[in-house]
Amino acid sequence: MTKLRDVFITGTGAFLPGPAVGVGQMEDHLGRIYGRDSILGRRALRWNGIESRHYAIAADGSVLHTSADMCARAVQAALEDADTELKQLQFLATATTQGDYLVPGHATAVQGALGAPPMDIASFQSVCCSSLMAAKAAWLSIRAGEHDMAVACASEFSSRWFRPSFYEGTALCDEKGRLRAEADFLRFTLSDGAGAFVCEPKPGQNAVSLRITYIDIVSLAGTFDPCMWAGASLEGRDDLRNAWSYAGPVAAHAAGAISLLQDFQLLKRVIRAWVGVYLKKVNEGRINPKDVDWLLCHYSAKSLRQEILSLLKNTAGMIPEEKWFSVLKEKGNTGSASIWVMLDALLKSGKVEPGQKILCVVPESGRAMVGFLMAEAV
Amino acid sequence: MSESVSDVLRKLTIVFTGFEQRLETVPLLRKLSRGKLSLADYQALLVGLRQQVKDGARWMSRAASNISEPHLELRSLVMRHAVAEHRDYRLLEADYVATGGRLEEIQGAQMNIGSEALSAWMFHEASKPNPFGLLGAMWVIEGLGAIKAKEWGRAIKESLSLPDQAVRFLLYHGENDAGHIGEFQEMLSLVLPDEAVAQRIVRTAEVTARLYALQIEEIGT
Repeated sequence: MTKLRDVFITGTGAFLPGPAVGVGQMEDHLGRIYGRDSILGRRALRWNGIESRHYAIAADGSVLHTSADMCARAVQAALEDADTELKQLQFLATATTQGDYLVPGHATAVQGALGAPPMDIASFQSVCCSSLMAAKAAWLSIRAGEHDMAVACASEFSSRWFRPSFYEGTALCDEKGRLRAEADFLRFTLSDGAGAFVCEPKPGQNAVSLRITYIDIVSLAGTFDPCMWAGASLEGRDDLRNAWSYAGPVAAHAAGAISLLQDFQLLKRVIRAWVGVYLKKVNEGRINPKDVDWLLCHYSAKSLRQEILSLLKNTAGMIPEEKWFSVLKEKGNTGSASIWVMLDALLKSGKVEPGQKILCVVPESGRAMVGFLMAEAV
Repeated sequence: MSESVSDVLRKLTIVFTGFEQRLETVPLLRKLSRGKLSLADYQALLVGLRQQVKDGARWMSRAASNISEPHLELRSLVMRHAVAEHRDYRLLEADYVATGGRLEEIQGAQMNIGSEALSAWMFHEASKPNPFGLLGAMWVIEGLGAIKAKEWGRAIKESLSLPDQAVRFLLYHGENDAGHIGEFQEMLSLVLPDEAVAQRIVRTAEVTARLYALQIEEIGT
């Protein structure tokens, strides 16, 4: 049997569309439901702590970039950072929550946008954790000797889904035209962007490369109902026969089954389940909080409630807040792209030194999943 | 906090999150989280919970009586705890009556299979000398009160449009339990470090969690 190879992240790239958009201008880009300001927005922003973000929709409604285009730009930036070029690339693994098309997969659209030569590709689709699914495919393909250069990338164009036409005239708005919190909350949480990294079986030429130690993904979908979803109404999500594809697009739209929705009550339980999975890793010695030099998580420590933080401290599971690196506040929560946007910012900050350990934690509320990528700087 | 206490707390948290995930799939609670619980379901839940709530202070008292002199401080804490809780089931009965149920019905209801198993297990453990493993059982049951009861109470009140006085046990019992959890860490530090005790606490939590879930699974069957 061929020996498994070490795999290194040799370059990273990120792409954020348009100018940074402040809190006051968000609805200029997303639009206002029935022309009125959201009542919930401020509360959502206080909770997620995001101060600015980017949208691929301009204030006049025009589209600046497609999701595939943003992803391709992040891939190009990562290839450049790794001092290589597109024709060397053998495997493209993509992630997204919702691509530009329904069919075929996102990877075909990204390959198309890149104008890339024939190659092996894979499309991963979920919510935030799809990033690690693509990363795992890229990592294992190099590790197994299947390829010598792979890219994992992710992009989101959430703002398309947040425009008024997705909600107006649906069951998600009441008789006064107010949008349900389950839908409105996400409009103030998610934004657009893309991120990517290159992996190879040897370190690159940058000051540091990262050797991937492991990628662990734990999904609890066998236990939980969907917590963040699109394709079913609030009431109809427990039976897949109610899904949009059965109802048909017109009826599904009227039922509010097309929009992205979040169940807040369930989210509280899902957060505790993430903590359980994390502490299990700590208990098994897979994660040693004392060994981690940088923690990247697209959830801010601020948005975890005090009980959870004190629980982490009391169980010796907390990674001190000074080791958390985040650009969430400035660059927004870009879903599956978030973790690579953060990794790119960390590596380019010049703060990482050889020998340091970096832990990426990617929680996904979708149907309760959490993933971990552990890497060591070399 | 000492390493041995945080180590046990971590293991107990893992047990609790596993327990919570098992509860997520119990049909009665799935109905609740999907907004499909009926009044009859809620009444059955009260009947199903009553036995354990009633027994709680009794097994704690028995456990306290089996705690030896060198652990007097722990004995005091467990006794105080039992006193604080030993009338809670009356609140639960009053809730049942406020939903339109008859007091004789809830008082005369037969224990379900899970309640039988849970009750037998608790009294069996409480009858051992220095039954420190029961701290694990308290963690599970108190955690349920502090974390789950209020969530259930709010969801039930909202989905069935019930007045406060029909959901008092779930809504307010939890408020007391939040304070109990701080006390819990103090209790752990009275018996740790001790590897055998630590293992027994975690094991007792696992068994209690499984039997508690069984009690809820058996409601209405």
